[in-house]
Parts: sequence; structure tokens; C-alpha cells
Amino acid sequence: MRFSIYRYNPDTDGKPWMQDFDLPESEVRPGMMLLDALLLLKAQDDTLSFRRSCQEGVCGSDAMNINGRNGLACITPLKELRQPVTLRPLPGMPVVRDLIVDLEPFYQQYRAARPWLINEDPEPEVERLQSPAERERLDGLYECILCACCSTSCPSFWWNPDKFLGPAALLQSWRFLADSRDQATDERLDALDGPFKLFRCHTIMNCVEVCPKGLNPTRAIGHIKELMLKRSL
Amino acid sequence: MSRQAHGLRAWLLQRFTAAYIALYILVTGVWFLWQPLHSHAQWQAWLAAPLPNLATALFIVTLLIHAWVGVRDVIMDYVRHTGVRVSLMALVALVLGGTGLWSLRVVFSVVGQ
Repeated sequence: MRFSIYRYNPDTDGKPWMQDFDLPESEVRPGMMLLDALLLLKAQDDTLSFRRSCQEGVCGSDAMNINGRNGLACITPLKELRQPVTLRPLPGMPVVRDLIVDLEPFYQQYRAARPWLINEDPEPEVERLQSPAERERLDGLYECILCACCSTSCPSFWWNPDKFLGPAALLQSWRFLADSRDQATDERLDALDGPFKLFRCHTIMNCVEVCPKGLNPTRAIGHIKELMLKRSL
Repeated sequence: MSRQAHGLRAWLLQRFTAAYIALYILVTGVWFLWQPLHSHAQWQAWLAAPLPNLATALFIVTLLIHAWVGVRDVIMDYVRHTGVRVSLMALVALVLGGTGLWSLRVVFSVVGQ
């Protein structure tokens, strides 16, 4: 199988370049994932750099741009990929080396969403209870693994990564706005006000298209806008 | 309401104006299919009636607001330099404002002719 992989070492390379790799068909096993192939290619050239950890789509470390679409290498079946398989780092983020990007701008926006429960009531002896219906509202929100596939496929985030929170952070904003135990609704909505933080979303829906966990940040953003509208009336 | 809903206001304006623009195009489209106008005089007579006149004037205003929010969004997305951004927005506001005033003048000028 043929691969074309983005290479860039800021210490030695003047500019990024694409390197061709060839994986012999004898090494391709049925059911093999892209990450398995990358590990074999790294055995060919150990300078090839990429992140990976759990290898089963839970940690989100090996997010990359696969044939023009963001995804997790560990859960992308090799057989479904068009050749040469073109691998690039997540778009719009500063490249540390090869397929490894600096996700600090992404995490900054995640922190700005204040992704924790804000409740000023005295801490109960047991957990803060929710009804099954209240708990159900968090389905499709809490499962985010912060792989950054969504935010780095969002054109609005490419243009304004310092001002627009991006789909991943906004999904978390809604996750806590929707939480019956959270008491900071007004503060959270105030923090999202203005033309940039929330309203740069133009419903392009690349985020929904690429999310490896099948989540829907666009719908969450719509719920935030609805809530903002209700609160403002 | 305590917050300055700048983002929310623009977003709502875009949706409400879009709804009116769609409604106007649909209603006038069906109307002209049903009763086609064949001459300049017929057009003038149609536009001079109070309801089409007001509806068309409102259409022009909503279209300009809709265009302003859309173009403002594009400029905010793509133009990073504050000076260039403000200049471009001022230019767009001037062009849209001028177009609006001219169009409204045309629409209102047929009344009473």
C-alpha cells in the first residue's frame, strides 16, 4: 500500500515536505487499522513522528487529517482508504513535528468554556442527584474525547482560533448549560456573548461530519443560541 | 436583560430578514405568474398601490440589513487587521446605505404619479 505523509522537523527542515512510503501487501492483515500501518511504517523510518496511546478510539491522541478528512488513525480501517493514503497533521494548528500539532489554542478555548460544574450550594453528603430525564439530556455531550477533529475541521476556527471557541469547546459549554446541577447559566451565557465566541459558527457542520464519536456540536450550538434567545426575551 | 446581545441580535436579524425576503419573493413571484405585467406603466401602477409599495420598501430594507449582517460576517471571518476591517465595513455600509436610499427613492417616487 502506498502512503504520502507530511514531514516537518522545525530544527532541520526549511519547509514541510511529503514523503512517500510503501507498505508491502504481505504486511497488510485483514481488519488492520491505519494506526497499525503507521506503526509498521515507523519501523521502516523511526524519525516518523505521531501521537498515539489507547489504540481504540478512546484517548483521541492520534487525530490526523486522513485523505483530506480529520479522523482517528486507530479506528480508521486501512482497506477503506484510497491510495496513496495522504496523511497530514490536523489543519490550522502549529506543527510541532510531522503529524504532531500543538493543541494549546484548542485547549485554551476548552478552558474558556469552564468545563466543570458550578454549584454554590453546600456540598451534599452523597452525590448531587438527577432524575433519569435530567441525566439523559447529557447524552451526546459528555462523550467528547477532545481529539480536536471537529474544531480543526471548522473554517471559522481556522480563521479565528483565538476568538471563536470552536465546536469542541461549545459542545462542553452546552454540556454544562444543560446540566440540571449547574447554577451558572447566566454567567456562562454572558461569557459567550459578542460576535466571536459563539456566533462565528455558520452551521457549516464539518464538525458533525468528522466527529469520530458521532457527536453533534452544531446541534449543541443551536441549543445555546435558543437558550440565549429565551433568556433575552 | 443584562447582556449586550450583539451576536444574538445580528443572528436574529439575519433570520427574521431572511424569512421576510423569502416570503416577499414567494408572494410576488406567484402574483406575477398569475397576473403578469407587460409594460412600464403597468409596473408603475402596481408599485404605486399602497400594499405593494410598502411591502417592496420593507423588502429593500430587510434585504440591505440581511446583506449587511452577511458581509459583516465575511469581513469578520477573513479580515484580521482592525484598520482594514473597519475601513471595509465602512465602505460596505456606505454602498449599502446609498443603494438603499436610492432604491427607496425610486419606490416612493411612483406613489401619486
